[in-house]
Formats: sequence, C-alpha cells, structure tokens
Amino acid sequence: MESTPAVDIQGVVKTFGALRALDGVTLSVRRGEIFGLLGPNGSGKTTLIRMLVGLLRPDSGRISVLGRAAGDAGILGRVGYMTQKAALYPDLSVRENVDFFAAVYGARARVADALRVVELSERADSVVATLSGGMQQRLSLACALVHGPELLLLDEPTVGIDPLLRAEFWTHFRRLTAAGTTIVVSSHVMDEAGRADRLGLLRFGRLLAEGTVAELEARAGVDDLEAAFLRLSATPEGAAT
Amino acid sequence: MSMRRTLAIARRILHGVRRDRRTLVLLFVVPVVLLTLMGYLLRGGSTQPAVGVIQQDRGPLGPIVAQRLLASHDVAATSMSADDARADLAAQRIAGYVVLPADFSDRALRERVVAPEVHLEGTQPALSASVLGALGSALASAGTAVSGGAAPTVSPTVTYLHGGPDLDTLDYFGAAFIGLIVFFLVYVLTSIAFLRERQQGTLERLMASPLRRGEIVVGYMIGFGVLALLQSALVLAFSLAVLHIYNAGEVWLIFLLEALLALFAVNLGIFLSTFARTEFQAVQFIPLAIVPQILLSGVLFPVETEPALLQPLSNVLPLTYAVYGMRSAMLAGRGVTDAGILVDLGVGVLFAALAIALAALTLRRAAA
Repeated sequence: MESTPAVDIQGVVKTFGALRALDGVTLSVRRGEIFGLLGPNGSGKTTLIRMLVGLLRPDSGRISVLGRAAGDAGILGRVGYMTQKAALYPDLSVRENVDFFAAVYGARARVADALRVVELSERADSVVATLSGGMQQRLSLACALVHGPELLLLDEPTVGIDPLLRAEFWTHFRRLTAAGTTIVVSSHVMDEAGRADRLGLLRFGRLLAEGTVAELEARAGVDDLEAAFLRLSATPEGAAT
Repeated sequence: MSMRRTLAIARRILHGVRRDRRTLVLLFVVPVVLLTLMGYLLRGGSTQPAVGVIQQDRGPLGPIVAQRLLASHDVAATSMSADDARADLAAQRIAGYVVLPADFSDRALRERVVAPEVHLEGTQPALSASVLGALGSALASAGTAVSGGAAPTVSPTVTYLHGGPDLDTLDYFGAAFIGLIVFFLVYVLTSIAFLRERQQGTLERLMASPLRRGEIVVGYMIGFGVLALLQSALVLAFSLAVLHIYNAGEVWLIFLLEALLALFAVNLGIFLSTFARTEFQAVQFIPLAIVPQILLSGVLFPVETEPALLQPLSNVLPLTYAVYGMRSAMLAGRGVTDAGILVDLGVGVLFAALAIALAALTLRRAAA
C-alpha cells in the first residue's frame, strides 16, 4: 500500500456567485478506508466530490487524488464515481449499461463480475426503465465499480433506498475496501455515516471536524454522533458562518 | 366546476411564464421577427429575374418588342450579344434570354407568325414562368401597336438549358427538401438525445471518466451519423424512385451533400442543446435557430431575389450552400468538378468542422 493519501485536500475554496460552497476545506483520506462526508443538504458534499473528479476546479487551494492533481486524465481511469441520482441509460438493458461504462474504461471483461457483485445477474437483460429504484441504484453502483477503481466516490449512494438494501450496500463497500479500494461516501444521514471508518463533518462549506466516530464523540463530549454533530456545529469556529 | 380552482391553474400558468424568459421571447418576439423576415423577403426583394434580350431583327417589329421587354417590370431585361447571353445563362447569371431573329418582322408580316426564340436556364420554374409571361405581354402590346387586322399566331421556340417544361414545383423544391428534411430531423434527434444525456446525469459520469470531450462529440457524430446517413439514403431513394423528382446529377454527389449537412446538424444539435435545460427549451430553438435558416437558405425564395440586405446573411448560412449544391447537382446536372459544387462541398465540410469544434468546446459548460 502506498503511503500517499488517497485524497488530499488543502484549503479548498469554491464560490458560486455570492455563495461560498466550500470555505477553506482541508482533509485527507487514507488508502483503503471508508471516509464518510457527513453534512446537511447544501453543506458542500457534492461540490467537494465533483472536484475530486475534475468536474469543478477550486478557486484556491489544492486537491490531489491518488498522488496526482484532481481531474488529471491519467487518474480518472483509476477512480469510480457514482452520482447522487442513478445516472443510467433508461433505454438500455442492465448489462448494456454496465458494458458501456466498462468499454469507456477498457474493462469489458469485468461486466459479469460487476453484475454479480450487485446481485443483478438475473436481471441482466431487463431494460433499465423497468427496474425499481433500488435496483437502479445497485446498477449505478455496478457502473461505478466495473473497472475496479482504486478510489470509489459515492455521492449519497443510499438516498431513497430501503434499510435492507442500505445494509447490503455497506456489505459491498466493506468487501471492496478489504480488496484495497478506498471509498469516499457522502451522506446526510447520521446513522449511515457512522458506519464509515472516519468522518468529515461538513457544514456551510466548512469542515467542522475530522476523525473516527469515537474521536468525534469524545471531542464533543457526548456519546452519540448526532449530538456530536450538533455540538460541533455550535462551536465558535462552526458558528462563525 | 369551481371557478376558484380553475383560475388557480390559469394563474399558475401565467406566473410561471412570467419568469420563463425563453417562453416570453417565443411568444412575443419570435412571431414578430419571423413575420418581419417573411414580409421583407416577399415584398422587399426584387423578384424580377434577369433576362437577356438579343435583338437581331432587320424589320420594325423586333426593336419594339425588345424595347417593351427592356421596360418591363416583370423582368430585369438588358440588351446583350448572343455570346454573352449564352455564357450568362450557363453561369446562372440570367434566368433566360430572348432572341428576336433576323426574319422576325418578316415572318410576322408575311406568315402572321410571331416566332421569338426563348432560351431558359430551366432549374427554377417560377423564374421561367416570369420570363415567358413578360415576353407574352411585350408581344401583345407590341402587336397592338404595330399591326391591325387578324391577330398573328404567337409560337415562340422555347429551349431549356436544364430540366424542361416538365420540371414542376416538386422537382424544384424536392431537390432542396431532401436536404432540409434530413437537416431538421437529425438536428431535433441529436439535440434531444444529448439533452437527455445531460438530464439523466450520464454526461456527468462521462465527464468524470477518461473520455475526452472530442471523443464524446465524435462518438455522437458517428452514432447519429449512421442514423442520419440511413435516413438520407431512404429520403433520396424515395424521392427518386417513388416521387420521380427530376435528377440530372450523380446520386453519390447528392448523397455526399446530404451527408455533410447531416453531420453539421448532429453537431449543431449538440452545440445548441448545451444552452437548453429541458427538452421543451430545446424545441424552442427550432423557431429561433432553424426556421430563419430555412427562410433564408433559398429553399423557398431564391437568394438572388432576396432584398440586398438579407443576401449577405443568406451567404453565411450553411443550409444555403447545401440547397444550392443539391439543386445544381439534381436540376442542372453539375458534377463534382464544377466550381460551384466544389464551393458548396467545401463550405459543407467547413461548417461541419466548425460545428464539431463548437460542440466540443461547449461540452465542459454542459457538464458543469
């Protein structure tokens, strides 16, 4: 395992007009861990993730991904990105969708594997438009991991899916990190983010705290993540906005 | 029926429209622009076709007919030599020329037969009709001025450089419509498809992948290009085999012109779709971006007869060159070595390349 962090973010600022979407965020994600980005809607989670794949550029600050500048064409093939809403081709079948993204990354041999991982092998020939929301979400995950990325970015992957499927997703995530993949997962749900190895608490574009659940709880002096988040939001540095 | 609930719906629609600037433009600006354009095209233009008059008559009648023709408001006639007239006709500078032969008066007086020669360019039925009409009225007024007695038989000899008297409106418009249909449908198809790519979030995924912008655009071009070429082939085959649209040219050349137009349309679709957020907005581009092109491309009104102010605009529209190319290939039978066709093809390639570049450039904006 390389010693450089999977993701290294240094003092990143991003504004959209008058809105400061990210206000000097510094954090780093270690190789092989699941890093949870926890924060309410509009706290800058999606902006941060989109920067990691070069879809947005920071106004100031530095971001390196797998040791290279974010958005560098050389590393995009080693990163997987699952957007917030299942971004799929509704007129194609399940297999055709995965096959398309596999072809883009030059990994067509792994299509069947990816379908097996998300347990969609039996529905491989179904047209996407006929799938349930949960199945589409699983397919979207398959499309993001088909090329065996070293870093998997998941933007609220479990929004709107039932608890059973959510548990399933986390089983997948654990299996992937066991195989050496680093995962960054954003969420606005406390008990979900609590499953991550380490967390970054984001609010109004600022990083309130970074650490394991236990560390965050200890720092806030409470024994519950939700209470910790609220307590840390109220500290002077968090309340400054 | 509750008036309150019903009016709630009406009010909601009006409130929504108030904030939708595109719809406001579509409702109140576009009709004025289009009508202005139409009115200007129809009224402001000189619809007088250029006509050459070659007066060779030794008798008294020829000069009178020639003079009436030169004074005619239906055509813009000029006196010229037979050689100049032939050259101008071949170069489409004139719609036709009238020869009043040396024995014109002689035959009219002795045989009571009025026999001018009319040489028409022939690819534009409307212009041919104007020329014949102007000659008819010139002969009639000259006739009453000169001779009393029994009315002479008017029997002009009419020859066509291209096409013939059978060339009808469908032949004339068909040649241009083949291109237009493909252009329009391919544009609509691509702009909607590309917009979907954006809406369903897959474009975002593609932009986060190792795919380069150019690869996405060219990939789209090939994918929709295949569909566009199949459609072009079908449209062409149907026009020639079923509708029997007049064709004096080479089929592959017509297909090539069509294909270039289709490639342009694919990339125009991608380019313009980046300025639309919904399919509704993409459709709104049709009256804004497509209809004026159609009006100005010479499909309906020949560019030469447009008001002088609009002609430069027509001359920078790719559709104009496609329409001209198709017409000169199909109606005049010009080949790929013809200078005009080469210009049309060259402009087609240029615009297709420009649209590809624009489409690739705007893609970054599209994902963000």
